[in-house]
Amino acid sequence: MPPDAAATLAARPQRRPRAAHVLGQNIGLVLAAAILLASAVVFTLMFVIQQQRLPGSFEITSTVNNTMPLAVAAIGQTVVVLTRGIDLSVGGVIDLTNALAAIFLAGSPLHMIVVSILVVLVGAGAGLVNGLLVGLGRLQPIVVTLATLSIFQGLAIRVLPQPGGSVPAGYTNLLVNPDAPTALIFLAVAILGWMALRRSRLGVELFAVGNDEAAAVALGVNALRTKIVAYSIAGALYAVAGLFLAANATSGDATTGNSYTLTSIVAVVLGGVSLFGGRGSAIGAICGAFITTMIVNILFYAHINPLYQAFYEGLFLVVAVVLGSLIGNLLRRRG
Amino acid sequence: MSLAERAEGDPAATIAARELSKAFGGVQALRSASFAARRGEVHALVGENGAGKSTLIKILGGRLHADSGNVLLDGNAVRLGGPADAARRGIGTVFQELTLLPWMSVAENLLIGREPRSALGLIRRNALAGEAEAVLAGLGIHHIDPRALASEVSLAERQIVEVARVIVRQPRILLLDEPTSSLVEREVEWLFARIRELRARGTAIVFTSHRWNEITSVADRITIFRNGAEVGTFDAIDEDEAVTLMTGRRVEALYPPLPPVPSPAAPALQLEEAGVGDGGTVSLSVAAGEILGVGGLAGQGHRELFLGLFGAPPLARATIRIGGEPIVITCPADAIHAGLGIALVPEDRKTEGLLLPLSVRTNLTLPILAQLSRLGVIRGGAEARMSREIIDSLGIRTPNAAQPVGALSGGNQQKVLIGRWLLAQSRILLLYDVTRGVDIATKHEVYELMMRLARQGRAILFYSSDTEELTHLCHRVLVLSRGRIVAEFAPPALTAEAVVAAAIREPHAA
Amino acid sequence: MVGMLNRRSLLAASGIGLLAAGLPGRPFAAERKLKIALSNSYIGNKWRIEMENLFKAALQMEPYKSQVEGSWFNSGNDVSQQSQQISGLIGERVDAIIVNAASPTGLNGILHQATERGILVVSFDNVVTAPTAIKVDTDQFQFGKKLADFLVEKLNGKGNVIMVTGVAGTFVDKERNAGADSVWKQHPGIKVVNRYTGMWDSSVAERNTAAILPSLPKIDGIWCQGGTDGVLKAFIAAKRTPLPPTAGEAENGFRKFMTGYMSQKVDGLSIGQPPYLVLVSLELARRILQKSHPRKDITIPFPFVTNSTVKVGETVFPNLPDSFFADFTDSGADATVKICVDAALTGKACEGKLDVRLPSQA
Ligand SMILES: Nc1ncnc2c1ncn2[C@@H]1O[C@H](COP(=O)(O)OP(=O)(O)OP(=O)(O)O)[C@@H](O)[C@H]1O
Ligand SMILES: [Mg+2]
Repeated sequence: MPPDAAATLAARPQRRPRAAHVLGQNIGLVLAAAILLASAVVFTLMFVIQQQRLPGSFEITSTVNNTMPLAVAAIGQTVVVLTRGIDLSVGGVIDLTNALAAIFLAGSPLHMIVVSILVVLVGAGAGLVNGLLVGLGRLQPIVVTLATLSIFQGLAIRVLPQPGGSVPAGYTNLLVNPDAPTALIFLAVAILGWMALRRSRLGVELFAVGNDEAAAVALGVNALRTKIVAYSIAGALYAVAGLFLAANATSGDATTGNSYTLTSIVAVVLGGVSLFGGRGSAIGAICGAFITTMIVNILFYAHINPLYQAFYEGLFLVVAVVLGSLIGNLLRRRG
Repeated sequence: MSLAERAEGDPAATIAARELSKAFGGVQALRSASFAARRGEVHALVGENGAGKSTLIKILGGRLHADSGNVLLDGNAVRLGGPADAARRGIGTVFQELTLLPWMSVAENLLIGREPRSALGLIRRNALAGEAEAVLAGLGIHHIDPRALASEVSLAERQIVEVARVIVRQPRILLLDEPTSSLVEREVEWLFARIRELRARGTAIVFTSHRWNEITSVADRITIFRNGAEVGTFDAIDEDEAVTLMTGRRVEALYPPLPPVPSPAAPALQLEEAGVGDGGTVSLSVAAGEILGVGGLAGQGHRELFLGLFGAPPLARATIRIGGEPIVITCPADAIHAGLGIALVPEDRKTEGLLLPLSVRTNLTLPILAQLSRLGVIRGGAEARMSREIIDSLGIRTPNAAQPVGALSGGNQQKVLIGRWLLAQSRILLLYDVTRGVDIATKHEVYELMMRLARQGRAILFYSSDTEELTHLCHRVLVLSRGRIVAEFAPPALTAEAVVAAAIREPHAA
Repeated sequence: MVGMLNRRSLLAASGIGLLAAGLPGRPFAAERKLKIALSNSYIGNKWRIEMENLFKAALQMEPYKSQVEGSWFNSGNDVSQQSQQISGLIGERVDAIIVNAASPTGLNGILHQATERGILVVSFDNVVTAPTAIKVDTDQFQFGKKLADFLVEKLNGKGNVIMVTGVAGTFVDKERNAGADSVWKQHPGIKVVNRYTGMWDSSVAERNTAAILPSLPKIDGIWCQGGTDGVLKAFIAAKRTPLPPTAGEAENGFRKFMTGYMSQKVDGLSIGQPPYLVLVSLELARRILQKSHPRKDITIPFPFVTNSTVKVGETVFPNLPDSFFADFTDSGADATVKICVDAALTGKACEGKLDVRLPSQA
C-alpha cells in the first residue's frame, strides 16, 4: 500500500552520481593505490636509468617476499584499528611466533602443517589476551598492548634465547618462493578473506563499533565480543606474519619482529585506514605495506647518504599522509 | 479529562513499567515510575527536561536496567537482556540521541542486521543501495540518497532514517523519544502519517515531544511525568493544565508580545550574495532590535547560512557588513573575538556545541574565558557566580555546576548551549533551532529572553524547525528554498500556513 | 695480451657505453672495478660511525681507490629493511656485500640468494649464521679470558673483583662472561663480589656502579666489558681511590686514565672489538674476488694496549672525547692495520697506501 501523497517526502532534483559516492567513501584506499602506483613508477624509472634494464623477476619477487610479513601484519592491525583500537603488541606476537616457528618447523609436510596451525593458534591466543583486557577490563588499548608487547617479547626470548633454529627449504619455497612471486597467491587469498569479512555480520559489527560504540550497542551489537574477536583475528594474522618472516629468514630471531609494531601502524595510516576507527580497508593497508617497501627501494637507488635515510623516509611518510588527507578533504568538499 | 487507573493495573497493556526506579550517581532519574501503553494506541509521554522520559524509554528499550521495578510485556515481567533482546521481543526504539553510524552509508545504517545476502550468506553490498531505496520509497521517503554517508545528510534526514530503520522491522511496540525535535512541519506530517498507519495495524506507540500541537494532533492518551514519576494519564487535557502538572506552576501565554523595532532601523548585520548551496545566493539585512526569522524545509541552506556567518566554514563569495562596516569572517574565533558579536547555537549539540565530558560551568563560560581571566588566570569566583546565575535563570537541572554536561538530559544540555549566548553578550545573535528539545516552561523563558535581548537593541537571526515559533516571535520571516530566498512575510501576512506554502512550492514552477 | 685487453674493452663498450672504448688499456685490476657494498644495520652509536668512516676513507686510499667501487647503506635495526636493501644490491649485481647484520639469522634467506647468484658475502661484527657467508670476527671468549688473566696476574691470584657485564641475551655478552669465568674457576683466590650490567654504555655503567658501590667491600680489581671509563668515574666520585687495576674495553676515556687523567693513574689492560673489522672484511673481499685468498672465515687478534704500551696520539687521544673508540687502528710491529685518526673521525683519506694484513693461514 503506497502512502498517501501528502505524507511523502519528495525527491530532491539532483543527487550526487554513484561514482562520486564510491570515490568519496573509498578515498583512502584510492589514494593508497595511487601512491603505490606512483612510487612503483618512480622506482622503475630510477631502476631503468641506473641498471639499463627493466626490474625483473628477482626484483619483483624479493619485493613481494620481503613485504609479505608486513602486509599480513598490517591486515591484522587494520582489523583492530577499525574498532577504534590500536595494537602495539604486533612486534611481540611476531617475535614469539617467529621463534616458535624456527624451533618447531621440521620434518614431514604434515608435521609442518600442524606446527603452522599451532603457531597461528598461539598468535590468536595472544590476541585473545589483548581483547579480553581491552574488552572486559575496559582498559585503553594503547596501554594494554604496550604492556603485552613486553610480555610477548619476554616470552619470545625465553623460547629462543639465541637467534637460531632453521626452517626447512621446502617451507620457505612454499611461502616465499625465491624464484617467482608466488606469495601473491597468499595475498589474493587474504584479500578474498577480507572481502568476505566485509560482507559478514562480524564485519558490519567491527565497523559499527569503530563508528560509534555507544550507538552500536544501542543497535544490539555485542561490542565486547566484537572487540575480543577483532584482537584475536589480529593476533592470528600476526602469527602468519611471523611464519612468513621465519620463512624469509630461513631461521628464527626473537627480536626481528619488533620493528613491525611501528611499521604496521605506518602501513595502516598510509593505507587510508582512519585511526579514529570505523573507516578503512585492509586492501589499503596492504598497499600501505608495499609503499613502505617501495620507499626503501627508491631511497636505495637514489643513493641517499645513509645517515639521512631515516630522515627522508620520515619526510616521505609525512608528505604522503598530508597529501592524502588534503586530497581527501578537497574531494569531500567538492562532492 | 479523566484520570485513568494506575498504569500497572491496566489489563490491556502491551508494555508497562511497574514502579521503576533508576539513579545515576546522586541523581534520581526515575522514582518508582509506572506507565502502560496498549496495542493500537499512540501514547504521548510529556514532562519537563530531566523529568525522566528518556530514562524510562531506555529501560523499556533494553538499553538500561532499572535499579528496581519491572518491565511487563503483555502482563508478564521480563528481563530485557539488551537492545537486541528487546528487538527480538518486538520492541523497536528510536533513542533521543541518534544512533546512526556516521561513516557508514544511509543504506548500511537502514538495513543493518537485515542486509540482502547471497547464497553463501555474504552481504550483497552492491544490492544495499537499491534495497534501501526501495525500503525508503515504501515509507514515502524519496529525498534521501541511500548511498550518502550518514554524516553527510542533514540532522532531519538522519532522524528520518533512524525512524525508518525501526519501522521497517515492524515492531509490535514502537518507542519514539523526541522523534520530531529536528523535523519541520512536512516531515512531522510524514512521521505522523506513518504513526497512524502503524496504529491502525495494532502497534503500541509511545512517543515524547515538547511541542503541544503535535501531541494533541496524534496522541490518543497522554502521560505526564514530573520529577522521575508519572503524575497521571489522560485521554485529553488542555495545554495550560498539562503545563501546570508538568511544572507544578502556571505558565502565562506561551508567546510574549513582540517589542517594536526602533525606527529608523539601523542595520546591524547585512549579508550580500552569500552562496549557501544549490547555486543560489542569499542577501539579507537585520536591524538592531529586530528578530528576523528564516524558515523553510530543512536542508535548504539554513545550516550553511548560520554556520557560514559564524565562519565554520566561511561563506563563499559573501560580503558581510556589521554596523555598515565590511568585515571578513574566516573562522569562529573571528566571529567571537574580533568584536563581531556573533553567537551560534549549533544544530547537533552532541558533536558541534558541547564538550560532553567537561563541566556545565566550563561549557557555559568557554567563549568568554578571556573576559573572565586576569593575566591568563581564570577568576574562579566570577566564573562560578556567572554560571550559577545562568543555571538558575534557565532552570538547568543539574546537581551542581561541576557535573559533566554529558550526564544531563537532552533538553538540559540544550539549555547549557542557550546559556552560553546569554553570557557572551553578543550584539548579533544567530539562533539556530535553539528550542529544539526544550520543554514548554523553558521555551517560554527563552522567548521572554529573546524579547528582552531585542529590546536591548540586539539583532537576532532566528531559524526554527517549528513554524509556529517563527510566526509568533519574528518581525519578519524569510523563506529559504534551495539556497534562495523565495518569499518574505511580515504581519499580517505572516501566518504558519503562508510560510509552509511558500516553503514547499517548487521555486522554478512559476 | 693486448689483443685480449682490446676485446675486453670492446665488450665493456657494448655494455656500458662508447666512453669506455676510448680509454687506454689499464692493468687488470683497474679495468673493471670491483663493486663492493657495505650493508650496515644500526648507525646510532660511535662505534658504528667510526666503522663506516673507516670504510669510506679506505675507498679513497690505494689499493681500493683504483680497484673498488664502493657503496654503503644503513637500515636501522629493521631486518626487513636491510633484507630489502640487500635485494637491491643483488639487483645491482655487486661483486661482494659486506654485512654488519641487524640479526644473526634474519638475513639468512636473502644472503643465501645472494651467494646463489655468485655474490660474495662477508659478514663481520654482528655476524650471520648463514653457512655460505664468510665471517670475519674476533674471539669473544678470548676477550673475556684475556681481561681476566690480566687481573689474576696483577692481583697474584688473590682479591675482590667486580664484573661489569654487557647486554644480556646477546651472544657476545655470554661468550665474554664465559671466558672470564673459565679463568676464575682456576683461581679460587679471586672473589667476584658483584656482577652487574653496564649495557656496554659508559653512562649506564657509571650509574649502576655508583648505585652498587656503597654496598661493596674494598675492590682490588675491575673486569669490565664496556663503559669502563664510566665505572672508573663512579669510583672516583665515591672516593674509592687510588683506582684498582682495571681490565676493560677500548674507550678513549679508559685509556686516558691509563696515562693519567683526573689526577688518577690506572694499571690496566684495554681490549676492543675493533671498528677496523670492516677494513679486514673489505680486504678479504678484494683478495677473494681477485682469487688471491681462499674463501675462508678469519678471526683476527684483538688489538690491546696496557698502561706500559699505550701511546699518546696513536692509541690514546687526549683531545678527543672519552666515548671515542681508540681501537680504530691497531698498533705494534705486527699490527693488522694502521690508519690515521682523521679517517675514523671524518671518513677522509689518510696519506699513503692502506695496508691490511690478513692473519696468516694456519
Ligand atoms: N548517564 C547519565 N548520568 C547521569 N545522570 C543522568 C544520565 N542520564 C540521565 N541523567 C539524569 O537523569 C535525569 C532524567 O534524565 P532524562 O534524560 O530521562 O530526562 P528527559 O525527561 O528525557 O529530559 P529531556 O526532555 O530533556 O530529554 C536528568 O536529571 C539527567 O540529568
Ligand atoms: Mg529525553
